[in-house]
Amino acid sequence: MNRTVLIIGLLIVVAIVFVLFACLGKDPQHIESPLIGHPAPPFALKAVGTGETIDLQSLRGKPVVVNFWATWCVPCYEEHPTLVANARNLPDVQFVGVVFNDTEDKINRFLDERGKAYPTLLDANGKTAIAYGVGGVPETFFINPAGNIVAKFEGPLSTEQLQADLAKAMR
Amino acid sequence: MIATFVLLVMLQVKVPDAAQAVGAPQGTPLSGPPLERRTMEIASEVRCPVCQGLAIGDSPSLMAANMKAEVREMLSRGYTEAQILSYFEKSYGQFVLLKPKFQGVNALVWILPMLILAIGFVIVVSKAKKLETAPVAPAAEPEVGEDSYLARVREMVEKQ
Repeated sequence: MNRTVLIIGLLIVVAIVFVLFACLGKDPQHIESPLIGHPAPPFALKAVGTGETIDLQSLRGKPVVVNFWATWCVPCYEEHPTLVANARNLPDVQFVGVVFNDTEDKINRFLDERGKAYPTLLDANGKTAIAYGVGGVPETFFINPAGNIVAKFEGPLSTEQLQADLAKAMR
Repeated sequence: MIATFVLLVMLQVKVPDAAQAVGAPQGTPLSGPPLERRTMEIASEVRCPVCQGLAIGDSPSLMAANMKAEVREMLSRGYTEAQILSYFEKSYGQFVLLKPKFQGVNALVWILPMLILAIGFVIVVSKAKKLETAPVAPAAEPEVGEDSYLARVREMVEKQ
């Protein structure tokens, strides 16, 4: 009897330790995107400042970087210079910013103060963010010339990370 | 909802439409109190992606408010609960469903508690049966114990 109890107890402890080791290092906010390998949800949104409508479909034929951000998001301040610098250095790649739950005034002020190198679109009711499965900002999607999502990155992008994910979109 | 559509048309913008992901609505468009009731019911089944284990119906976050508005709009257009949950699942994966589906590794969530309960039940029943069939201790034995105890007491008394 004592031996059976010991074995069952050990099995339970081993199972708990296994689960802890397997899952403790994981980010609970990380969402594995089911959209990777699938066509990017289409959208056509107005660009802040110019009022021009940017249609994702019209960008087919070149890699597209879609960055979801907001002026109330602190890490977005951190990654903005990286995005602007890379957008200037990579003319063959189309960068697009999509802002949700924000106002045009605040976005314009942010861009005036911190620089702009690509269109920033206003997703007024967050519908585009929902269609892309955005959990928080910043989040960046990499779309290949055929219009399929090939990578998604959560959090502020570094140049290394951006170029690594962009390489997947250029294959 | 209609106001949102009109506003989007006025803004000349095209946002991703649920129909592209889950097809045409298969239910009856709702409005008024039934719409609100169903919105809350479905919102309690969808996980807020920016919270820790909260449903979008319970979360005060802006993201959850957007998702709840999406649920309301889809219900008002006649989408069924299954279509709405499928729409969110296509964007966020099964993570977004607070009630995991009975498939793959998720099936363990449903099977394990029942399995553990069944094993416990079998153990309890087998132990109970063993107790029933165990030979009853002979009545004389306690007396033997008692006798030896009394003998020791007597011995100690005598020594004094």
